Amino acid sequence: MTRERHYIPESRQREKPKSKYFAIGHSMKRVEDTRLLTGSGTYADDVSLPNMAHAAVLRSPHAHARIVSIDKSKAEALPGVICVMTGAEAAEVTGPCADFSSPPTTQHCIAVDKVRHVGEAVAAVVAESRYIAEDACELIEVEYDPLPVVVDLEEAVTSTGDAVLHPERGDTNVALQRTITFGAVDEDFAAADLVIERRLRWPRSGGTPIETVGATAHYDRGTGKFTIHANTSMYNYVGWLIAVSLKVDPHRLNIVPTDAGGSFGSKLFCHKVCTLAGTLARAAGRPVKYLEDRIDNMTSGDAHGSDRLYDAQLALKRDGTMLSMRLKVIDDYGAYFQYGVGQHGNAMAQVTGPYGITSVEVDLTAVLTNKCQQGAYRGFGSEVGNFVIERLVDAACEELGLDPVEMRRKNLIPKDAFPYIMPTGNMYDSGDYHAVLDEALGMIDLEGWRKKQAEARKEGRYIGIGISTCQERSVFSATEFWMWNPNETPGFTLSSSPESVSVNIDPTGKAFITLNAPFWGNSPETMAVQVLAEKLEMDPADISVGYADSDKGFNSSGPGGSRFTVMIAGAVSGAADVIREKMLRVASHMLEADPSDLEFRAGSIGVQGVPGKEKTLAEVALHAHYFRLDLPEDHDLTSGIDAAYVYDHPVTTMPSEDRSDLGIFYPIVGHMCHIPVVEVDVETGKVDFLDYVAVHDCGTMVNPMTLAGHVRGGTVNGIGSALYEHFHYDESGQLQNALLSDYLHPTLMETPVDIRVGHVETPSPFTEYGIKGGGEGGRMGAPPAIAAAIEDALKPLGVKVDSLPLTPKVLRGMIREAEANGGG
Amino acid sequence: MTTPRTVELVVNGERRAADAEPRTLLSDFLREGLGLTGTHVGCEHGVCGACTVLVDGQSVRSCLMLAVQAEGSEVRTIEGLGGADDMHPLQEAFWEKHGLQCGFCTPGMLMTAVELLESTPGAGMDEIREAISSNLCRCTGYQTIVEAVQAAAERMQGEGQ
Amino acid sequence: MKPPPFDYHCPETLDEALALLAEHGEAAKVLAGGQSLVPMLNLRAVHPEVLIDINRLPGLDHVRIEDGELRIGALARHRAVLESPAVREASPLMAAAYPYVSHGPIRNRGTLCGNLCHNDPASEMPAVALASDAEMMLQSASGARTVGAEEFFTGTLSTAAGADELLVEVRVPQAPAGQGAAFHEVSPRKGDFAYVAVGAVVSLSGGACSGARIVCAGVGDGPHRARAAEDALEGAAPGEGAFRQAAAAAADSIDPGEDFHADADYRRDLVRSLTRRALADAASRCH
Repeated sequence: MTRERHYIPESRQREKPKSKYFAIGHSMKRVEDTRLLTGSGTYADDVSLPNMAHAAVLRSPHAHARIVSIDKSKAEALPGVICVMTGAEAAEVTGPCADFSSPPTTQHCIAVDKVRHVGEAVAAVVAESRYIAEDACELIEVEYDPLPVVVDLEEAVTSTGDAVLHPERGDTNVALQRTITFGAVDEDFAAADLVIERRLRWPRSGGTPIETVGATAHYDRGTGKFTIHANTSMYNYVGWLIAVSLKVDPHRLNIVPTDAGGSFGSKLFCHKVCTLAGTLARAAGRPVKYLEDRIDNMTSGDAHGSDRLYDAQLALKRDGTMLSMRLKVIDDYGAYFQYGVGQHGNAMAQVTGPYGITSVEVDLTAVLTNKCQQGAYRGFGSEVGNFVIERLVDAACEELGLDPVEMRRKNLIPKDAFPYIMPTGNMYDSGDYHAVLDEALGMIDLEGWRKKQAEARKEGRYIGIGISTCQERSVFSATEFWMWNPNETPGFTLSSSPESVSVNIDPTGKAFITLNAPFWGNSPETMAVQVLAEKLEMDPADISVGYADSDKGFNSSGPGGSRFTVMIAGAVSGAADVIREKMLRVASHMLEADPSDLEFRAGSIGVQGVPGKEKTLAEVALHAHYFRLDLPEDHDLTSGIDAAYVYDHPVTTMPSEDRSDLGIFYPIVGHMCHIPVVEVDVETGKVDFLDYVAVHDCGTMVNPMTLAGHVRGGTVNGIGSALYEHFHYDESGQLQNALLSDYLHPTLMETPVDIRVGHVETPSPFTEYGIKGGGEGGRMGAPPAIAAAIEDALKPLGVKVDSLPLTPKVLRGMIREAEANGGG
Repeated sequence: MTTPRTVELVVNGERRAADAEPRTLLSDFLREGLGLTGTHVGCEHGVCGACTVLVDGQSVRSCLMLAVQAEGSEVRTIEGLGGADDMHPLQEAFWEKHGLQCGFCTPGMLMTAVELLESTPGAGMDEIREAISSNLCRCTGYQTIVEAVQAAAERMQGEGQ
Repeated sequence: MKPPPFDYHCPETLDEALALLAEHGEAAKVLAGGQSLVPMLNLRAVHPEVLIDINRLPGLDHVRIEDGELRIGALARHRAVLESPAVREASPLMAAAYPYVSHGPIRNRGTLCGNLCHNDPASEMPAVALASDAEMMLQSASGARTVGAEEFFTGTLSTAAGADELLVEVRVPQAPAGQGAAFHEVSPRKGDFAYVAVGAVVSLSGGACSGARIVCAGVGDGPHRARAAEDALEGAAPGEGAFRQAAAAAADSIDPGEDFHADADYRRDLVRSLTRRALADAASRCH
């Protein structure tokens, strides 16, 4: 269907924001917590099936090599070993792993013929215990024929011959190259007084949750059906693709979700682990558990984050007015390409940031190298865009002698401009960016810190203040996954990404909500309970929550892209409307009043304006369950009170054929302002936080306490990305830091003592109650703000920050160079 | 001898016994041998702290101790702390202060905090930060964990008086 | 990441333990605190045939001052050492270094003697032992011998202890009265092994520095003593100038390796700045 350019569909919002809420907006203690606090959660490794065996994988020590031969005889002879599978053997029964790139890139759950990164599975062992399985792995003899290794993303652009990872996709490691222009870029650059240019490097890091990925699979020979328990997501969205890999019909695979011990994007799908466990269980004839160990997860978890080199330009007027951007980016995707360049689809949602820039050109080159492939990590590519644009803005301030705060104030989109269509065609639904900036400035005492900074400099101490004003697009729509694909091979151009719930009211009037996507570490149960309590004016304590497996689940895309709270609010709200309608109908008979004269009161339904004339929800529910036939004739009124509701994305339009307009695909847009104050020890390169303010606008807050938790946690992830975390591959493609002793998650001591969180609430006109997503924001705002603060601290030395992470070695190296050049 | 032997110990006040190979890690023994899956395993090299339990009153990484070494010891795990109906003040405080999100590091955090507050009643900010810095949390940013331990310390002091 | 199979012995007497060591030699590993050994087992970086668990040996967990020496037994845990008043009295340098050693749960199990025998080049305590002229009391079935720190640390993860020998005690001479000590470290995160650590002790006599010891960790294949820096300081008036000069000499005295955490230039920079800071602190603590 063709629509006019920049068409904005009518809002489907049913619940308007309110001035006073019953349950929403309260910092309610979480519903999820009692089981987690008592050791009663069920995480992937807590699943145990009768007669269960355990698997381990033999990992490739080579980054790129042909597998010449595998001798598994010694491993098979080891007592306690049930079976040993090579990639070739697995491929006889199991197809390639799910993949969303176009043209597709073939990945097997155990490598076939060739390994493409260190840590890739070469064989798998099933044994009576994990210990024995690992013993057997040591006995497998593999002969490799090493191939040229590609680790540098610029070199990958020109790879040929044996250095090409997937020759079937063509004689190149360039997986996708495309330039898209939005608006009058050339004209805007021609009209500019100044063009800022920076070469910026964003490093490869990853969500790396404390719990790895695991699956326990059972193949029932009697029914030909798989059951797989796993800490995966999207199992009620695209989980059936695992059945395709296992070569059974989707109805012969039931995926049962476990609690996930953190994801941060990394457990978005986890199809490889599920496919491997299923393959091994069928071969072993017994239930098999495969849990990644830490090295499996770091080297082969398919969840490394963006790894980009930008040549970025910002065109401005002398007065600081931002006009246009040109971004030339190479992104190192690693050895496979599971989500295509979905991360760049994502980044297009807010590529020009919160500023009134009217045109942009993006030249994207995605390359394949001998590293673990990319997946999702909190921000899914947009966090990099935030870093790039904020670095350009700060550079422009430096060049033009403008104050970073005033520069932003001047260019932020004004609050009367919403809904705002940004150059790529995505919509920013609403916002008050100046209010967020003012709130943050009100919290930080900028003047006081500037004074302290000046005094400290006299003592040879280096204090710096940084600021970022960034977008947090939320509520993804599926088009981001394919909009960059070649027009001739766009792939599977799906457009739906719904979320669903079902609600049952029991005979005593209490509610049970079934979610169709997993617990990921966020607060889906609490969110659902608060929204349902709001809708039915119920005591939240009377609502409990469970999770449907894929046999019973409805279409649900699951958490990701800061969508879950908005989407389940829509689904709960829709289901609750059905429940309300039915309860009113039953109550109207019981109270002998017209349904339109009734209202929900805390815990009851009563006749408006007649105090005391009411029935409790329990009375209504009991009646609906057991005394339906006592009621007068009422066509279609059946016993019980149940509802299921599938909520589609609140506002999506399709990309244009030529991609000059990407359509509305990530429109529920939050905003944030981060202001860290740091001190840099110029002798050691260590960075300390002296203060940290983070103000977020995620629309209507369902639970301020859990939202603040996301902001703080995300900010610390951002501190990790800015200062500590980097998957370091050496020239031979060895991952140097596959352990948590070397891959440096910040500990408490590396984080600010108090991340002071502020909130502004600009409700969305498109979502239920005006809720926006807030799950990723912290990590999307912290890195550019920290980079700016460090650059500000080192201003007397003239140090420029163009790459992350700023580890002590790196920072000290930059300072040393500046000192040698006469800085300081 | 690589052959399994019976390990006898007291876990959460209860005498328990199960077989373990000498190489069996205490973490695996608790989880698989005794069915106490509340103790989590995150890294198996002693860094993350998710597997922290108390052995004879002291916090240890159960992934860095062999089960056979715990013979005759008194082990405390998250399962011994309190249930939903009789939460320990630390569990209550973690709940109230939102000191957890995914909950995977939580048992290790709680046991670390139990050791601190039992050995140093009324522990101050510096002691709490020092103790909590031994464990990784990827969700919370730590701040609310510190607040929770502080709140529990105050509550336990109040109860003790 | 599970340990490979091994034979396990848990001797109840020292003689029994030494007999097992004599019998198995290179094929055996001694399990004390296990905080370095068990991760290596889990990673299958080592495959010992035999593990000799010394945790049940009696009488080896002491931390006490005797005959002008601080004596710390094979089973004294880091925590016990850290909290011991004897250590604060006899070795202010060790006391200053201990806050940098790992974290609570690791300190609860890990032992000082095990830490010394492991000799990780980025570890704090070998440097402290070297600065303090510590003596290692080694025992085997065939006898006992004493090895000075200077000879004991022979290279990355290697020491002079024979395969049949057990480090039963470390003896640290009591620091001279009035000596000041300080320890500075930069590590990736709190509690991690050092990028570089510098320990310094110095005395003041007649307004001049004397008897300084300056040691570094994280700069090579084991603890490093910066003798040139010590010499530069001897007889100098304490102050920024002297400390800078000594720091420069310390930085010149190392030939550090390089890994992705830290390159040689960075390590040299750290030795320079940390030496200066440590000397200034140590001098300020002289009394």
